Amino acid sequence: MADDTDVLDAEIGQAVDEREFIEAAMRWHFDPATGSPYWLERARSLDFDPRRDVHTFADLRRFPNIVNELRTVPIADLVPKGYGPEPEVYGVYESGGTTGLPKRVVFLADWVDKMIAHYESRHAERGLPRGGNWLFVGPTGPHLFGAMQVEMARRNGSVLFTVDLDPRWVKRCVAEGRPEEANRYADHLVDQARSVLETQDITFLVTTPPLLERLTRDDELATLVAKVPFINWGGAHMDADTRHLYRTEVLPNSQLFGGYGSTMVLTGAPERPGLGDDDPCVFDPPSPFVTFVVVDPETGEAVPHGERGQVVMNHVSRGMLLPNNLERDMATRIEPPEGGFGDSVADVTPVATFDGGAVIEGVY
Amino acid sequence: MTTVTAPPELVHVDALGPNGAFRARNRITVNDVAGDPTVELSLVPRLFVRRSLAALHAAGTMPADERAAALARAGRIFVDDAVDGLPFDRYVYLVSRISGMPISVVREAAQGIGRAAVETYRAAYCARPTAAVTDWRDPRTHRGAAVWTRRGDVFAVHAAGNHPGVHTLWLEALALGYRVAVRPSQREPLTPHRLILALRAAGFGEDQVVLLPTDHDVADDIIDGADLAMVYGGDAVVNKYGHSARVLPQGPGRSKILVTGDAWRDHLDMIVESVSSRGATACVNTTAVLVEGDPAPLAEALADRLATMPSLPPEDEKAALPVHPVASARALEQFLLARADGATAWLGGDGVVEELGDGSAVLRPAVHQVDRADAPQIGVELPFPCVWVAPWSYEDGIAPLRNTLVLTAVTDDAALVDRLLQEPTITNVYLGDTPTVFLEPGIPHDAYLGEFLMRTKAVARTV
Repeated sequence: MADDTDVLDAEIGQAVDEREFIEAAMRWHFDPATGSPYWLERARSLDFDPRRDVHTFADLRRFPNIVNELRTVPIADLVPKGYGPEPEVYGVYESGGTTGLPKRVVFLADWVDKMIAHYESRHAERGLPRGGNWLFVGPTGPHLFGAMQVEMARRNGSVLFTVDLDPRWVKRCVAEGRPEEANRYADHLVDQARSVLETQDITFLVTTPPLLERLTRDDELATLVAKVPFINWGGAHMDADTRHLYRTEVLPNSQLFGGYGSTMVLTGAPERPGLGDDDPCVFDPPSPFVTFVVVDPETGEAVPHGERGQVVMNHVSRGMLLPNNLERDMATRIEPPEGGFGDSVADVTPVATFDGGAVIEGVY
Repeated sequence: MTTVTAPPELVHVDALGPNGAFRARNRITVNDVAGDPTVELSLVPRLFVRRSLAALHAAGTMPADERAAALARAGRIFVDDAVDGLPFDRYVYLVSRISGMPISVVREAAQGIGRAAVETYRAAYCARPTAAVTDWRDPRTHRGAAVWTRRGDVFAVHAAGNHPGVHTLWLEALALGYRVAVRPSQREPLTPHRLILALRAAGFGEDQVVLLPTDHDVADDIIDGADLAMVYGGDAVVNKYGHSARVLPQGPGRSKILVTGDAWRDHLDMIVESVSSRGATACVNTTAVLVEGDPAPLAEALADRLATMPSLPPEDEKAALPVHPVASARALEQFLLARADGATAWLGGDGVVEELGDGSAVLRPAVHQVDRADAPQIGVELPFPCVWVAPWSYEDGIAPLRNTLVLTAVTDDAALVDRLLQEPTITNVYLGDTPTVFLEPGIPHDAYLGEFLMRTKAVARTV
């Protein structure tokens, strides 16, 4: 049994010793008595011994990116044996399914507690009151984003109204060249949200940037949305110009804040409180359990602060180890808050994709 | 010794929204043909596009006489005034440098925009059916009459960057009382930016005409959010929007000249002008010449004439050929050489690129002879003087002449002219020594835009 791993039970944002934290996590996940069947088996094909060779966040770069294996691993194999014969599993959530089969991760109850406590403290800093009616317009079902709203609303004494979005259906419509169907579906969601906004007093709206844009497209609905005092977006990117327009023109009286999450780190990085209209949108990951590194995609080396690079994510907790996952996002590297490990990120955008440079006939 | 040069001052092309100019954080740099950064173009997000279109929908329409006066004023401002700090000559120079179009061609086209703006109100109303009145108050409606009315309120344009002259057309929508949203080409956004600022200075409100530069992924939102739209592009655009009653595609020109008999020598100047004037990048430039009898002498004479065009940087007053960055010029050359396989080259058979040494290259003329009137090459339209000369006989009929924006027919055969005019896929028919590049305000370019923008409604009344 891996001994002395108490540091893994720290709260998010708590100062921990880097080596103590990483070494405890390696002992826990790679001890045959406490590690998950998946990692214990996977360790056999690593060219290093995590318990001997991994001591720092930088050392996590030695791990291969295993997230694609999560498309097929039986989820029971992902639960560390150290949780005992009846682990308290909160749920299983899946990646969006943009490319191929979805990737699955298991959420243990202790992680959900940690994560929610962190969000609650962040919300309290912003002045979000207890109670009240919340409206979530976004992905529920197998998606983490919706499940967490349910849990947060419950713990906040709030009533949660929901409009459920199936993002995979939208992606499928678009991939199959049926954008008008995706459009029609979005209208269907907006209609449902409209009826809630028209009839209920909503204090907190949580949705995705594309849906927020649709919810503010016509002036009548935009007026209703602008009355909501707290608005949180996540699940997709919001560009800096759009954010500025919301803050200054469209939703000037609401407190608008974002989150940058990934199912593959089992949570999100909330927007740093106190940012001005012209500040870059900075996200602080919930260190030490989730850390980011902003790297040059060519060399894999960290870029200097203030420079843009591709985001590498690590999740290291008692319940799960998902190190060194290169996400398809670009961001500006920002100094983390006091005591935080790794990088904070700003102005996150998708990795650019380039069209082939074929000559198009014609004069236009 | 080191020379310290000041960083070039980039010209900002801001979005022009319903609340004025908007300088986005998301900007792209438009380089000149030598690769030097020249223009910073703001790209607006979907939210900005949708909110702008909502503002256009919510806005009212200016009275007709005010529109007419403001358009005329805008035309004068466009040419005579400094707009956004940019004097006319500087604007012309910059368009020439970023588009590679010869400066004299840019100047003439820009002055043409000024003249067109003055004329556009009259030109727009040329499309009105003679039986229709413009106002229900007209006494003729007492007995029942057609009133010419708009099909919508908001008109969107995906503009092209191949020639400044494309921006004269949408002015007619403003003249007819539409509110207009223009998405500029990222290749040459200066002209619509200047024109919209001139229109605003002349009295059009910020909720009447907007400039919405966007990335490709937001482009469809501009069409989706408008009542009617016009989109420039190639066959892909025509295929995508061809079946929409809301969208008017402006597709390839594939303009042609047909010469029957053997009088082509008398029209060589016209043929040369049709192929090579206006920088040879317009949809009205001739792509193919079909000639009765042996095409070789005509191809040879045309090659001789076009071969004398000088290779000069675009800002040279004597420049007449388009200039591109070397890589893009080479790509076009490769495309031409691949398509020319099987044709006889009279000019440009070994290539058409002449590098200017600063990273830019002139695209020199190409003249190829094909052996059949229906050779696939005669539809290959490229943005430099590139012409396919084909034999034609009465047995070929008009099939090879189909899908043509402008067809100039040099012929004495009135029955043939009748057939050309009846052919649905031939848009304009010019006769005799009229070059395909002939354009005048009030003469339709691809039918009158008003035919698309307007409809008649019956009004009958007893009061």
